[in-house]
Amino acid sequence: MFSEKQPYILTNISLIGLLVIGLVLLSACEQQAAESYTIPKEKSTVATTSQSEEPKMQVLPGMQSFADSASGISYQTPDSWTEFPPSSIRKANFKIDNASGTAEVSVTVFPGDVGGTLANINRWRQQISLSPIDQASLKENISPIIISNHQGYFTKLEGNTESILGGILPFHGSTWFIKMQGDILVIEEEVDTFKSFLSSIRIEDNHH
Amino acid sequence: MHTLLKFFSSLRLTVVLLTLSLVLIFFGTLDQVEYGIWETQKRYFESFLVVWSYPLQAPAGASLQWLKIPLPGGYLLGGFLLINLLAAHATRFKLTWKKSGLFCIHFGLILLLISELLTDIVSEESQMAIDEGGQANYSETVLENELVFIDRSQSDLDTVHTIPTTLLEKGKRIAIPDSDLSVRAIQYYPNAKIARAPEASEASALNRTIANRGIVERIDLQVFEQPMDYSQDSIDTATAFIEIFDASDTSLGIWLVSNVIDERFPPQTIQTDSKSLEIALRFKRTYHPFTVELLDFTHEKYPGTEIPYNFSSEVFVNDLNQNKKQKALIYMNHPLRYGGLTFYQASFANEDTTSILQVVKNPGWLLPYISVLLMGLGMCFQFGMHFIKFLRKAKH
Repeated sequence: MFSEKQPYILTNISLIGLLVIGLVLLSACEQQAAESYTIPKEKSTVATTSQSEEPKMQVLPGMQSFADSASGISYQTPDSWTEFPPSSIRKANFKIDNASGTAEVSVTVFPGDVGGTLANINRWRQQISLSPIDQASLKENISPIIISNHQGYFTKLEGNTESILGGILPFHGSTWFIKMQGDILVIEEEVDTFKSFLSSIRIEDNHH
Repeated sequence: MHTLLKFFSSLRLTVVLLTLSLVLIFFGTLDQVEYGIWETQKRYFESFLVVWSYPLQAPAGASLQWLKIPLPGGYLLGGFLLINLLAAHATRFKLTWKKSGLFCIHFGLILLLISELLTDIVSEESQMAIDEGGQANYSETVLENELVFIDRSQSDLDTVHTIPTTLLEKGKRIAIPDSDLSVRAIQYYPNAKIARAPEASEASALNRTIANRGIVERIDLQVFEQPMDYSQDSIDTATAFIEIFDASDTSLGIWLVSNVIDERFPPQTIQTDSKSLEIALRFKRTYHPFTVELLDFTHEKYPGTEIPYNFSSEVFVNDLNQNKKQKALIYMNHPLRYGGLTFYQASFANEDTTSILQVVKNPGWLLPYISVLLMGLGMCFQFGMHFIKFLRKAKH
C-alpha cells in the first residue's frame, strides 16, 4: 500500500506538524513582553471619545427671548478664572484650567421654578452619573446661602470623575442657576472661590 | 507507524472532526450570549480545549448547573483537520490530470486553515480617535491594557516603558525595561469600580485603598472588585495597586492605577533620586511612524430622520520618516490602506467632531481570497469534467 517515497512524505508531514505547533506556541506567548520605546513629545490635545467639551443644552422656544429680557447681572471674576463672552442662554461663562484639571462655570436664568429644587439637583446628579435622591435626603444635599440679598441654595455633588458645585436662586418668579462642573480635583480646590463668587453676584432688582 | 498514518489519513476522522466542528460552533453560539463575541472567539476557537457549562439564565438553570461538556477547541480541530488532509494526500491521493481539480480544492482548504491561524497570531485591531483639525499618531484597543512609565525629561522625545497587564495578573516582580526600577502588582482587578470613600464611615474602612502615593494622597478613594462585563460596547475598568521598588530594592510606595484615572486627571509621578516618571494604566497603545490628521468629518442623514446615510473622514497622512504626505477620503467599504495597516470608518463622537477609525493590521489578508479562488476554480474544473463526461455518455 505504501510506496518507496513513504519516509520523505512522513518527514514532510511531521515538518508541517511541527510548524503548526510552533505557530500555535508562538501565539500563546504573543504580546507578553515588557518593552521600551521613544515617541515624539506629546501634546495634551488628545481626543477624548467619552466626553464632549460642552454638552448641548436644548433651548426651548421662547427661552432665548426670556434670557435676553432677564435682569442684568454683575459679579467679581476670581483671578484664576478665565471669562468668556455670554453664549446663547448663558448670562456668564468661565473656564478654569490648571494643573488639577479643567472646569466650566455657567450662569443661566429660566422662567418659573424649572420643576423645583429637587428636580434640578437630580438633573445635575444625572449629569455626573449619580443616582437620584428623594425629597427626604434633599436637605442633606443643599445648604442655604444668600445671593444678591435673596435666599438661595448651595450644593456640592461629588461624582467619580466629575463633580458639580451649584448655586440655585429663586428670584422674583424666575430661577438663576450658577453651576461649576469639572474634574473632581479642581472642584475640590475651588469650593471657597465658588462660594465667594456666589456672594459677589448682584442681580438688577426692580421689584423692591 | 502504519496504523498511526492510517488513522490520521482516514475519512472517518474527517467526518468526526467536521461533526465536532459543528458542535463547537453550536455551543460557541450559545455562549456568545453571555461572553460576547471577543471572549467567545478566544475561548472556543483560539484554544485547544473548552468546557461549556449550562447557563444559569437558561430554563432550569439552577438545577442543571452541574452539566458541563468538554469540547475540543478550534486550534485542536483545525490542527487535526490539517494533518488529516495532508496525511490523506500523502497516502491515498495521486496527482493525476483527472484529480487536479480535487487537489486544487484541497490546496485552497489547506491555505484557508493556515491563513486562519496566521490571522489569529499576527493580526491586530485597534481604534484611532481624532478630533476635527487634530491629529493622532497612535491607536488603542480597549480590550487590552498596559502599565506605562513615561519619562518626559527630554525636550523633543518622551521615553515610554510599557508592561502588559497580563504580566501583572500573576503578582510577580517585573523589572521596568531600560531602567533600574521594578514593579509588583499587590492586587490586580480586570474590572472594578472606583468610588470616593464616604468620610469616616466604618463599613468603608474594609475597602479603603492600600495605596499611599499619587492620586490617593489628594482624594480618598475606594476600589470595589466587579465581575468582567463581556457585553458589546462595554469597557472594563482595569485597576491595580502597584508597588514600585528602586535599584536597592527599597519600596518607593504603593500607587493606585486604573484606566479611568486618565488624561482628565493630573498625572501620577514616581520621583527617584535621578529622575521623575509618570505612571499610568491605560488602554494598550500602538504608535505609528506617521500621523493622521482629520481635516473634516461628515455625517449625512436621510432627510427628516436620524438614520445615517453616509459617514466619511477626510484625512491627511503625514509620514515622519519618508517625508511623504497623502490625502484620503475614508468611508463605508472604502478604507485607507497605508503602511501595512487598513483604516476603516468605524464610529464618531462629540457631536460629529471626532472621528473613530478602526485600524487593522493583517498581513495575511489576501490569503483567504486566494484560497477561495483556488477552491472555486477546483470545483469548476472537477464538476465541469463530470459534466462533459455525462454529455459524452448521453451522446452515445
